[in-house]
Amino acid sequence: MTEEVLTPETSGNDNPVLWVARPMATAARQFLKSLIRPSTIVYPFERLEDPKFREEVQVAAGKPIGVGAVWDNYRGVHALNIATCISCNLCSFSCPDLCIEMVAVPGGNPKHPKKCPQIDYGKCSYCGFCSDACPEGCLSMTTRYELSVTKRSEMVYSPQKLFEVFERKLPMNPIRLERPANEDAILLDAPLCIGCNACARDCPTQCITMMDIPKPEAPAGAKLPRRIWKEPVVNDSDCVRCGTCISVCPKECLFWGTRT
Amino acid sequence: MTVSLYSVAHDLVALVLTAIGSVLPAPLSRWITNAGLITALGVIVFAAILLIASMLNTIVLIWFERKLLGRFMDRRGAMHVGFAGLLQNFADGLKLMRKNTFRPEEADGLGFYLGPTAYMVTSLILFGILPVSTGWNSGVLPLSLLLALVVFSFAPLFIFISAWSSNNKYSLMGGMRSAAQMIAYEVPLLLSVVAVVVVSGSFDLNTIVAQQQNYWYWGPLFLALIVFVAAMLAEMERIPFDLPEAEAELVEGWNTEYGGMLFAFFMLSDYVRALVGSFLVVLLFLGGWTMPGWVPSAATSFPLAGIVWFMVKVYIVFAVFVWIRAALPRVRTDQLLRVGWNRMIPLALLSVVLAAGVVMVKCLPVFGCLPNLGI
Repeated sequence: MTEEVLTPETSGNDNPVLWVARPMATAARQFLKSLIRPSTIVYPFERLEDPKFREEVQVAAGKPIGVGAVWDNYRGVHALNIATCISCNLCSFSCPDLCIEMVAVPGGNPKHPKKCPQIDYGKCSYCGFCSDACPEGCLSMTTRYELSVTKRSEMVYSPQKLFEVFERKLPMNPIRLERPANEDAILLDAPLCIGCNACARDCPTQCITMMDIPKPEAPAGAKLPRRIWKEPVVNDSDCVRCGTCISVCPKECLFWGTRT
Repeated sequence: MTVSLYSVAHDLVALVLTAIGSVLPAPLSRWITNAGLITALGVIVFAAILLIASMLNTIVLIWFERKLLGRFMDRRGAMHVGFAGLLQNFADGLKLMRKNTFRPEEADGLGFYLGPTAYMVTSLILFGILPVSTGWNSGVLPLSLLLALVVFSFAPLFIFISAWSSNNKYSLMGGMRSAAQMIAYEVPLLLSVVAVVVVSGSFDLNTIVAQQQNYWYWGPLFLALIVFVAAMLAEMERIPFDLPEAEAELVEGWNTEYGGMLFAFFMLSDYVRALVGSFLVVLLFLGGWTMPGWVPSAATSFPLAGIVWFMVKVYIVFAVFVWIRAALPRVRTDQLLRVGWNRMIPLALLSVVLAAGVVMVKCLPVFGCLPNLGI
């Protein structure tokens, strides 16, 4: 048997009775405190976002509760407003997990159906890039965090399902619509353009107008290129910088750049 | 003529058998209403009532501990099955009953099955010995306290048998620790009981309680109470003395290899022993089913008042055990044994001397005078 190593100097208490009495007093204090209400909540039956915990959450967070405060940066299930979605693809482009797929929603022109994001929560990492990228503020993240399902296919939320989440009017992340001051613009490499109208046709905000350009005189001994004598003009204030026009351009004559 | 539980059971059986005998032909009815048969069946019914009552109490005790411990740990304990989770332990028991019970290949069959069974049985026998109220026990047991303590101290033997026959290193270490701990704390336990016996002059628990009618022993024999509670905690293997099943070191101690109903036997017996420990503290130091004179007589004269007050006291004592469990960490083996042999035994001896002093003085300022011992 080893020597007693617990000396009054090392233990901090000089009275062995206190070694028993102090923890007992601490336990009794804790018991009396939690006899009124323990700190835990009965989770599936009560939730921290219930109004009755509002004050406690406020105290714990040190700031007022609600949109723009405690829930400000909460990133849960997305809410999608199908009515304002412009099918710009920006959410899908910005998704680092490739979990957003643009699928057709019923209604609109059957030849060019409206496409809205469908999110696979099995892949989603809740980074929030998509809701930051959404130019119309129709895709935002709510405080809903209960996602357990019995089948993997149920992890994929269709646009309609995301719209149902939107209709519940849960607390949401604030929508940031103001755009950066010195954002790049869509520029045109004019000699390459053939005036095919693809950019203007696919622009979700219809901010591209095909303007007539004068047909030049053909130089001697050479033929004019075969093209439509029109050029896209981008309305920068309406443009959401989705880049759809750049990706659809057959001649790769549109590019990002600073307008001088 | 006191009404005891046994006499109630006996009368019940006699009533039923007489009713059956009145409709049967002569030779059969004579056999059915035989006094010997009525006595035998009465004992069986008495034992069944006792068993059911004590098991129900044990299960409620587990619920009580879970709820209390939850509040000590800032949570709620069992919540959803039944009112405030009261039926949770019944559900757990059903689950354990339906589980497969198997024996490790290398384990010794006889010891493996004998251990939990005998542990359970010796723990349950104690309920037949300890009185809960006046007239609870029909028979007069002049040495009931001694008998209870003897049966109580069988436990380390069966724990050691089951631990050794499990053929597992953790089980064996747990069994060794359990035996060492229980033997070390048996001595101060009995010595502190000697203090009570010196003051009351009897080994009969009914007499000991009757002596405490106006003079509960917890005040004059406070030192003996402290020693008894500490030793009882070690005997019950509850925290802070739960070294034999120290989960952090020994998996689950001496019941590592047990599963299903055999584990339930151990688990239930642990709580049966906890209940019996609380019974003993109440009987020896807190006046049993008696209440002090300042309590209004309306609160002590309703039917079964003795049992109600006794159980209230038992649950308060058990709440203190839970409080100790919530507050104190587990001690080391060497600390445990050193405290047992070097501190508890001198304190217990001192408490015996104090008890002798109490008998000599007879009257204490606050607690009043001892009743006439008749010795």
